[in-house]
Amino acid sequence: MLSLSSVTKRYGDVTALDRLSVTVPDDAYVSLLGASGSGKTTLLRVIAGFEEPDGGTVTHDGRRLDGVAPHRRGIGFVFQNFALFPHLSVADNVAFGLRYREDNPVRDAAELKKRVADVIHLVGLEGLETRKVTAISGGQRQRVALARTLVTEPRLVLLDEPLGALDANLRERMCDELRAIRERLKVTFLHVTGSETEALLMGDTVAVLSAGSIAQIGPASSLFSAPRSADVARHLNAYNVLSGRVRKGGFEGAGGRFPLPGELPVRDGAPVEIALRFDRISVAPAGKGAAGGASIPARFIASEFTGASVLSFFRLDDGTLLQVVAHLSGPAPRSFTKDELYDLSFNPQDVIPFTERAA
Amino acid sequence: MMEIAGEQMRSAAPAMGEDNGVSPAERRERQERRTALMLISPGVLWMTLFMVLPMIMVVYVSFWTQTTFTVEPELTTDSWVRFLTSSTYLASTWTTVRIWGIVLLSTLLIGYPVALFIGLMVRNQTLQTALLVICVIPFWTSFLIRVIAWRPMLGTEGAINMILMKLGIIDTPLTSLLFSEFAVLIGMTQIYCVFMVGPITFMLSRIEPSIIEAARDLGAGFGRIFFKVILPLSLPGVIVGAIFVSVMVLGEFATAASLSGRKVNLLGNIIVSQVGSLKWAFASVAGVILTAIIAVVITALLRVVNLRKEM
Amino acid sequence: MEARVLKPVLGVYCAAFILFLYGPMIILAILSFQGPGGGPQFPIIEWSTYWYQHLLGMTPPGRISRLPIGDSLLRSLTLALMTTVVSTVLGVITAQGFRARFKASGVVFYLVILGMIVPGVLVGLGMALLTNMLGIDRSWWGTAFVLHVVYTFPFAFLVMLAIFNRFDRSVEEASLSLGVSPVQTFRRVTFPMIFPGVLSAMLFSFTLSYDEFSRTLFTSGRQLTLPLTIYGTFSVEIYPNIFAFGVLTTLFSFTLLLIYALLMLRAVRSAQSFKGQEEAE
Repeated sequence: MLSLSSVTKRYGDVTALDRLSVTVPDDAYVSLLGASGSGKTTLLRVIAGFEEPDGGTVTHDGRRLDGVAPHRRGIGFVFQNFALFPHLSVADNVAFGLRYREDNPVRDAAELKKRVADVIHLVGLEGLETRKVTAISGGQRQRVALARTLVTEPRLVLLDEPLGALDANLRERMCDELRAIRERLKVTFLHVTGSETEALLMGDTVAVLSAGSIAQIGPASSLFSAPRSADVARHLNAYNVLSGRVRKGGFEGAGGRFPLPGELPVRDGAPVEIALRFDRISVAPAGKGAAGGASIPARFIASEFTGASVLSFFRLDDGTLLQVVAHLSGPAPRSFTKDELYDLSFNPQDVIPFTERAA
Repeated sequence: MMEIAGEQMRSAAPAMGEDNGVSPAERRERQERRTALMLISPGVLWMTLFMVLPMIMVVYVSFWTQTTFTVEPELTTDSWVRFLTSSTYLASTWTTVRIWGIVLLSTLLIGYPVALFIGLMVRNQTLQTALLVICVIPFWTSFLIRVIAWRPMLGTEGAINMILMKLGIIDTPLTSLLFSEFAVLIGMTQIYCVFMVGPITFMLSRIEPSIIEAARDLGAGFGRIFFKVILPLSLPGVIVGAIFVSVMVLGEFATAASLSGRKVNLLGNIIVSQVGSLKWAFASVAGVILTAIIAVVITALLRVVNLRKEM
Repeated sequence: MEARVLKPVLGVYCAAFILFLYGPMIILAILSFQGPGGGPQFPIIEWSTYWYQHLLGMTPPGRISRLPIGDSLLRSLTLALMTTVVSTVLGVITAQGFRARFKASGVVFYLVILGMIVPGVLVGLGMALLTNMLGIDRSWWGTAFVLHVVYTFPFAFLVMLAIFNRFDRSVEEASLSLGVSPVQTFRRVTFPMIFPGVLSAMLFSFTLSYDEFSRTLFTSGRQLTLPLTIYGTFSVEIYPNIFAFGVLTTLFSFTLLLIYALLMLRAVRSAQSFKGQEEAE
């Protein structure tokens, strides 16, 4: 079990990690979602020991890690740019750690050969052993990087946007393989990514990193359906976030007024942010919004097809942008006219209010 | 003091953990800084012992008392007074500055068009590199051999006189080519010109062709483009080249010794001849003055362009 | 329009400049084949390799004394080799130290760079004064050697600094994360990858030291190095034997350059990969 407690890292005036605390369970696939600049790479580098925190502690299986040199931490690291050893062959790249590590190096040539062959088989690199790492494709380099780390049998592997350098096709395939390999080896993967689809797809557990600390951590499904803060909702890229004030138990702000579900623990007039999922909104011509529900008037800007669904953009009077997703499997979506006013209707029960900012 | 005490305690009890309020992370960072300092210390030590110390020695000995064949460590300004009141030595100081100025100007004037051609006109990478390599190759010949090579060129029966006579331009050979200030100037210009060409070419080759094209589209003639665009952008290269050439020309003595027939006496030659006659204090005075001139020149050149910003 | 005229004009000028650079050496090379009775100038009275034989001691002793190059060549080569090893090692470890941030780095940087700026005759003088005071004997392998390193170490340092600036640190971090100690990481990853730079630093150091004489002049004691032997001829009449020597030493330098180019080609081929990984960033 890896746990970070109150870890802070500053670069000059910039605070990359701000009293960050998180616990990563054993034998799990944890993905860490964060926008660029949220400190996600810094977090991995602090865990791996390439950087030391300015404050806080890092422990792994009860052992304090901060202050320990990186090569004595027993934590694997897969780099975004792979960082293969350019002067060595595929097999020598994989054998590198076993051969030269400080603690318990493998000196027996036969054993070394066998363990390298095993892991090369595991990642599917057979036949490329003698190739230079410069003479193989991007996907194959990714596998070498993974094999090189896994062969040393770390209990925890940190993956820094490992799929970022691959093209879309390959990325999907590698996603499945990464999951399968991890389940086979029973190690913990901490996978950092800026893509919410990748994070939700890969992780048993997903943590959202925002402004240098963990905004929310939980199972992918619960995180997606119940973000705990507006920040998390924004990161998931599936919610419209509106800000306004509480009025008589309802919402008042950009887009008008509508009721909010449940009792809010704040007084009247307190600021509130609400999240509304893209696919819980229906669009009707102005004045014809579904009765009984809430509706917001907005002007249509543009649509874009994303395969199985259509994503439409609307703008409120104050400039706020709203997105609406209509699945192509549902009733055929109407085509809209640019700059025309429409009613965006939704069930107030689907609105998730956040009042913590007000406190 | 506190820190030193803390370090000692920690080395005595390394397992104590977070004693003295120093976190393990901080301790590791200190350790790494110490490793870095350990890595640079041999170089620093070497430069201090074998460069800084000798230079201090030069300043120190310039105030020693000079007797006929030895120097005594009794402090005096005699050597300084003698140097500063001797017309011969002041003249050689002036010669040093004059030769430096002329060589600097001639390397710039001769080298700039070459750099302009290689850096700006030739846009083919391979040809550009090939031309630069051709310019650099002579440096793999011994410096002294390149100096000597001017003797059969400039001599009374040398190549230049021979060619000029064959062409019928002159009837009798020119005798003032070799063993004159001219010989020193042409020799230095040829030897040091490449140090000017290199940096300027580098800066010119970084100019985007589109900038010049844009200026041309606006109707600017070449002269205008040159003075408004090309010259300012290449200025850092000129300065770097000027520093190279200045440092080398000011410390020179071999070219003058070989080609001037003792007619040109630079400060470097003064130092060599004074050491030859064991006048150590006097050589030191010349050395300090030479150092001062170089320091002034480099400081002045660095004032012109902020190299850190430009590079 | 002007550029169309300017380009050929500058091209011709550039050709003339190259002739200016090479002219004296070409004349010197031609005159090195002067006959036994001829002087160090035109006309060539008869083409021969007499002066080459004279240089190598294959002619009967005559009026013109032989250049004492045998011993001095050996000394210069040894000195250059010693200087190369020490200044390259110093350059590599100092540049490696500079990869960590430390407060005095600016001062240290200028201290090192000063070594290539200070005129040789000055440090030479200073070293001579220092040894006089301390009563130490001067020698080419001692006092001259340390000054050669003072001169070549900054070049090696700058070369290595440039190499480390472009170095992808994540490759070293990858090695550390595999449990390999920093020392082993340097040996197994860093050094093989910076090897082309090390070769360049060595070439710089060797050629600079081999040709250096202003630092050697006051500090080599009685035993002369090769450049000092040539310098000695400056004050006396010269003969074509020195021209022959110039041709030979130039050929030797070119051989060295060729060896370097071949080694470099091999090193670059094996480390080319670097580019492939940068694409991924």
